Amino acid sequence: MKLAVVVQRYGQTINGGAELHARYIAEHLAKHAEVEVLTTCATDYVTWRNELQPGVETVNGVAVRRFRVKRERDPRVFGRRSDRVFAHRHSLGDELDWLDAEGPTSPALVDYIGKHADEFDFCLFFSYRYYHAYYGARAAASRAILVPTAERDEAIGLSIFPPLFRAVRALMYNSPEERAMIHAVASNQAIPGVVVGVGSEVPGNPQPGRFRQKYNIRGPFAVYVGRIDQNKGCKELFEFFQGYLRDPSGRLTLVLIGKELLPIPSHQRIRHLGFVDDTDKFDAMAAADLLIMPSYFESLSMVALEAWALGKPVLANGKCDVLKGQCIRSNAGLYYENYAEFEETLAAIEQNRWLSGTLGRNGRQFFREHYDWPVIERKYLEMFDRLKKETPAKALDPLPGWFDRRRQDLPAAEEVLAKLPTEPATPRFAPRAEPGAPSTSPGQARSTGSGQGRRQA
Amino acid sequence: MPDFNVRSDSVNVEQIMEQIRARIREKRGVDYTEQQIRDLAAVKLEKFLDPKGVRSDLLERYRRLQPAYEPPELPNYEFEDSTLYETHRGPLRFIRKLLNPLLKLFFNPNKLIQALHIQSKLNAMYAEREARREAARRATDQLTYELIHNLVVETTRLGIEVKNLKMRVESVGSRLEFNERRARALESVVAYKPGEGDVVAPPPPRAPAPSAPRPQQPQSAPMPQPLQAAQPPAPMLPGAPSPEGPGQRSRRRRRRRGRRGGGSAAGIMGGQGAPQPGAPEASGPAGQEGADEGSDIETMDEGTDMSAVPTDDLQQFSGASAHPSEPLTRPQPSGSAAVEPADAGPTDAGPRPVKTEPDPQ
Repeated sequence: MKLAVVVQRYGQTINGGAELHARYIAEHLAKHAEVEVLTTCATDYVTWRNELQPGVETVNGVAVRRFRVKRERDPRVFGRRSDRVFAHRHSLGDELDWLDAEGPTSPALVDYIGKHADEFDFCLFFSYRYYHAYYGARAAASRAILVPTAERDEAIGLSIFPPLFRAVRALMYNSPEERAMIHAVASNQAIPGVVVGVGSEVPGNPQPGRFRQKYNIRGPFAVYVGRIDQNKGCKELFEFFQGYLRDPSGRLTLVLIGKELLPIPSHQRIRHLGFVDDTDKFDAMAAADLLIMPSYFESLSMVALEAWALGKPVLANGKCDVLKGQCIRSNAGLYYENYAEFEETLAAIEQNRWLSGTLGRNGRQFFREHYDWPVIERKYLEMFDRLKKETPAKALDPLPGWFDRRRQDLPAAEEVLAKLPTEPATPRFAPRAEPGAPSTSPGQARSTGSGQGRRQA
Repeated sequence: MPDFNVRSDSVNVEQIMEQIRARIREKRGVDYTEQQIRDLAAVKLEKFLDPKGVRSDLLERYRRLQPAYEPPELPNYEFEDSTLYETHRGPLRFIRKLLNPLLKLFFNPNKLIQALHIQSKLNAMYAEREARREAARRATDQLTYELIHNLVVETTRLGIEVKNLKMRVESVGSRLEFNERRARALESVVAYKPGEGDVVAPPPPRAPAPSAPRPQQPQSAPMPQPLQAAQPPAPMLPGAPSPEGPGQRSRRRRRRRGRRGGGSAAGIMGGQGAPQPGAPEASGPAGQEGADEGSDIETMDEGTDMSAVPTDDLQQFSGASAHPSEPLTRPQPSGSAAVEPADAGPTDAGPRPVKTEPDPQ
């Protein structure tokens, strides 16, 4: 079996969520199949500047074929087009322009996929929202398996994507919430899909003492791992934690690991360690009393899974349905939606050792049952076997013509997003579309390529 | 979290979150979101604030009254040396230019032009300054109104908090009252039952009022002396420092509370405490107490304790007397020991409470 893994960036030093996800999957599937990674020469997700050499190289035993990006992203143009499609009524052409502006625009990569798709049994496309996934999946629709890594942001409300979700052979979701959201927006329940997620390379013997000694950290602490950014909920975290610091009974220190994009409050119990290597990261998580995940938007929190793998409880932002759903399903973390809940949940984990230990044990069990590598690999292999037995659906139709693309009849993505279900996909919150949610996507009636109802120009 | 209550070996996160939210509600009362507070401030303001003082739609009204600021269109103050001769007709301009030297023979227009030029500059400068001031004033006004609006929101929040606190005080008060009643009811069902090996003391003495003066009751009414008062007090057992049993003590306390209950004391005491028709009415609480004591033959020995009622109140309130064995530490007037009943309660074996009929109070 030969597989292609198509992702926007790839490399050992690239630590973006979807990119790391793709690398882990490629490396683990390489044990069962011949895997080739198709990617760009970019390493920076903001500019998509060509920084690596095009051609083939080997990364951790996996062949990687790189293609040049035709043009870098212009943040001003991208911002203007984002505003246009997210907040205003717009046309299909506007959305395609937005996709071009977002990048990484690499026609060479798409051409290669179109010409060589037949050489692969399946092509795994990561991150639905980028150029390579949209056009690449169209070029190899009969072999395309999409790993959407979709978050609850405005992009999911764009009308160009539902036909893509309905046209690929299968979807590998990261969470039940992501699946429910995509079902609601694209009505693609008929497309085979499974919640897989991704495992993690958690060391078996982390050294908490080594971390404490190296960074001179004493006493109990909560750790945050990730980009220190407002979009990740860090601003709210700082506000809440400063409120917690006023409580004399609280003893926790907040340790921050990651690149700083936001001013960090100056306090002796808020420590920023900057970017650390994986060894220190896992040592820190093993030494911590809990992990805090303040992010509003996640398709799957790998850091939370790593904390659970190490037997640590997680305190997550309850406004993120994925994190909340993970906490509920695993019984391994608490969540907060306001300061009062933050304070109480943090105190509960800090002061109740039994609770903290039980949550950690549940987390470890949850990780083993659902996110251990043998489980992940088995789910992928079972999906491949299933798809081999099924007849591929017909290929995607070409994009609409000149007039259809310019008809200003698509709703703002924000409006579509607001109608999607927001509850965690647990038995209590059975996934169902909101009354006003589109049973068919806004672009479905005038399809952008999947077939039915499309008028050719 | 000390009072966190999970009783099973496995945890249910949703259940824990429910408990945490219940605790938050208990601690903070109703938890309003920011939007709810704003809605309350905008709609139900009159319920919390004086409607004459503030307007709930303050900011909106202000915005309606104040149209968006637009910089004023200034008149053209420009005045140059050629302005006097300007015209849109070309030939006329040429003729004026041609005759300009002739004009200068009659008067000096340069001075006039210069003065008007300066004036035009001054006009433009003042107009600009005024426009800037107007813009700054409007910005300040906007800030002021924003501030007032925020104050209104905060005042509403405080009003809600005050209301919550009032409700909590009421709740605590009612709970306190309930606990007092409960304590009385519990005390009423506890009676002393001596053990078999105990020395059975004579019945509690119906001791006469002591001959010692009672300065606490200067206006006490003359009390009828019951027959039992003539009996001599039972002798105290040697080595028994506190010969009374908890049952008696609690009964005494109950009676005292009953007396403090004012008019209901008569009902509590089975009508014995009610003033006798022939007896003169007491003029105040002390007199009332005296009348009660006069009618209650069992409480004659407590006559000297009446001054300690406030202390007893405090002890009751703070729970100091919650346990029957708790010693009463209120100050005793001299000679009070002599009037303590020589109740030969057991000193070696603890009192055994037995349940009797509940106290009707």
